[in-house]
Amino acid sequence: MFKQRISFLRQPFFWWVAALLTIMAIGLAAAFVIFTRGLVVTNLTDLVPWGFWIGIDLSSIALSGGAFLLSAAVYILGIKKLQPVARTAVFMGLIGYSMAVLTLLLDIGRPDRFWHSLLYWNIHSPLWEVTMCVTLYLTVLALEVTPIVGHSDWVQSRWPGLGNRLGSVHKLAPVLAILGLGLSMLHQSSLGATYGVLKARPIWYRPGLAVLFIVSAMAAGPAMVVLASTLAGKITARARVDRSLLDMVARFIGWVLVAYLYLRFWDALSMSYTYEPGRSEGLMYLTKGPFALNFWIGEIALGIVIPMVILLNEKWRQNSRLLITALAFVVLGLVFYRWDTNMVGQLVVFNQIPQALTPQYTHYRPSLIEIAAGTAVIAYGLLAFTIGVRYLGIVDHEVVEEHEDVYVPQPAVSTD
Amino acid sequence: MSETTMNRRHFLKFGLAGLATTTISARYLSREAFSGGPAEEKSPHQWAMVIDQSKCAGCGYCLKACQAHNDVAPDKSWTRLVEAEPVGGKEVFLPMPCMQCQDAPCVDICPVKASYHRSDGIVMMDYDRCIGCRYCEMACPYGARSFNWEEFTGPNPAVPAWGQPDVPRRPRGVVEKCSFCFQRIDRGLEYGLTPGVDQAATPACVVACPYGARIFGDLNDPNSPVSKALADHSSYRLREDLGTEPRVYYLPVRSSEEREEIVPCSSNA
Repeated sequence: MFKQRISFLRQPFFWWVAALLTIMAIGLAAAFVIFTRGLVVTNLTDLVPWGFWIGIDLSSIALSGGAFLLSAAVYILGIKKLQPVARTAVFMGLIGYSMAVLTLLLDIGRPDRFWHSLLYWNIHSPLWEVTMCVTLYLTVLALEVTPIVGHSDWVQSRWPGLGNRLGSVHKLAPVLAILGLGLSMLHQSSLGATYGVLKARPIWYRPGLAVLFIVSAMAAGPAMVVLASTLAGKITARARVDRSLLDMVARFIGWVLVAYLYLRFWDALSMSYTYEPGRSEGLMYLTKGPFALNFWIGEIALGIVIPMVILLNEKWRQNSRLLITALAFVVLGLVFYRWDTNMVGQLVVFNQIPQALTPQYTHYRPSLIEIAAGTAVIAYGLLAFTIGVRYLGIVDHEVVEEHEDVYVPQPAVSTD
Repeated sequence: MSETTMNRRHFLKFGLAGLATTTISARYLSREAFSGGPAEEKSPHQWAMVIDQSKCAGCGYCLKACQAHNDVAPDKSWTRLVEAEPVGGKEVFLPMPCMQCQDAPCVDICPVKASYHRSDGIVMMDYDRCIGCRYCEMACPYGARSFNWEEFTGPNPAVPAWGQPDVPRRPRGVVEKCSFCFQRIDRGLEYGLTPGVDQAATPACVVACPYGARIFGDLNDPNSPVSKALADHSSYRLREDLGTEPRVYYLPVRSSEEREEIVPCSSNA
């Protein structure tokens, strides 16, 4: 027994988990300071009220976009063979959304009142819409993950009865896929609209943001799923991947990137002709100013062009090193895009003096406490995925679903 | 398509269409049906403020009075004093309280309706409802809002020299802003006073101004100080291009000569 414990220490798995737990412990301490002292410990200001944590929120929700897409592919378009990938996507979606909720609890001034948006509705607020959809979608994801937990060997070998009961939720899968598609289309784009409806910030005020947010999520969400699956397959034998399935998704991502690039191009081009004070400055800030590197390298080259070329070339796509690089770029590019979008509208401060419509600039750098708490949320996400791979067989493309009967067409509606 | 051929695919199609229709109609139902806020009778008054820039000397008394009467922490201010471009070699100031927009972005986008319109036009904050998401700070074109990053404890340096607080302090973690001193208006009306005319019923900043640069009153009353000032002078509002319809009007400095005549008696300055 004791010897077993010692050998445990030699496993990289142990050190990986220990590192994540350490980061989470530091983050917990940071969260304690935040809750007791208030948001004064952050570097947020009245000019830049949304910072590092909002970046994590936006990114983790977008990177969870694989869940609704792959569920829709399997249960609505009927591409059944993608079912194992959808399992991974749904589980990662649940992780991503719970990360967003955790970060939001840190971020809002009154976390004790988080339920107010569920009770006091303002249907004109994109943020209300996002809150409602995220809450409902979190429920959908939890229900979608329930059968995965129920069917897992870990649960089946201990409490088979409970496992089967949890597994029977699978019958709801087609309905959940429709709900998930609807809710995701709504809130992924509403997150863009959250910025897009703000007339006070000319660089944001445009309908395109809602579209760009969902299209970028449609590329980066599945990219995150394929990336995590591929990496897990390389690292541990517990993850068994089917390259042909992942290849199918990777090619799809390539085409989404084409559409995304097209939309980004016209969006940027049209903005450059509006000559609107504040908007032109915002665009300059992005393309030629302090964010030029983020924009051209992070968002466009790494985020769109390079991975697009790799993913649309069959030979390059087959090269697993190139594939991993391309997918990691897509994910990174999305984080850059969300970060830049959130920051640029706030950093260009509009001056209200009528005689001088000159924009001013402010700055923001997250405080150590913000970084510690935010990193802990990311560590939580990685830990949850690790546990999923190890104990729930979340990345397993070879398992033959013995529960085939539960998702054949007829239960959805009677045919007589 | 007959009923017998209704299969899952069709069901899903209809399900999706239905879901989309419901959602879209819910989002675009008329504003009136859903905008409500706390039930309140339609007020006969529409409060507005007029700020005469030719009279403002930038002394900041209004800030101090606001600080005291609304118990605002010293590191924030519900009304800002911005220095504008000089006209005719003279300094020009732009005091900026909350504009009390009739089409207020903050009211539209607050996810919990903590920002709402009173029927007399005042944009109010429900401090018991605000969750502190700070979305309104992003939406306000005038920078009129400030968040309580920490709790305001200890004495207020503006009290008692500039007045006594008439409202409770706001807790940590909510966004606060100017309310046109609604508490003074409401209490004044109860006592039969006229806001804008009787000092006790008028916003503290208006009362405190030694130059009479701030004028307050009811837009519905043609004899109110604001109606008269707006009838007699040309005025403008900040960022009218945004369509927010502010309730704060400015009388611009017109020329250096004209300004010379209005230099106030400076017993207080």
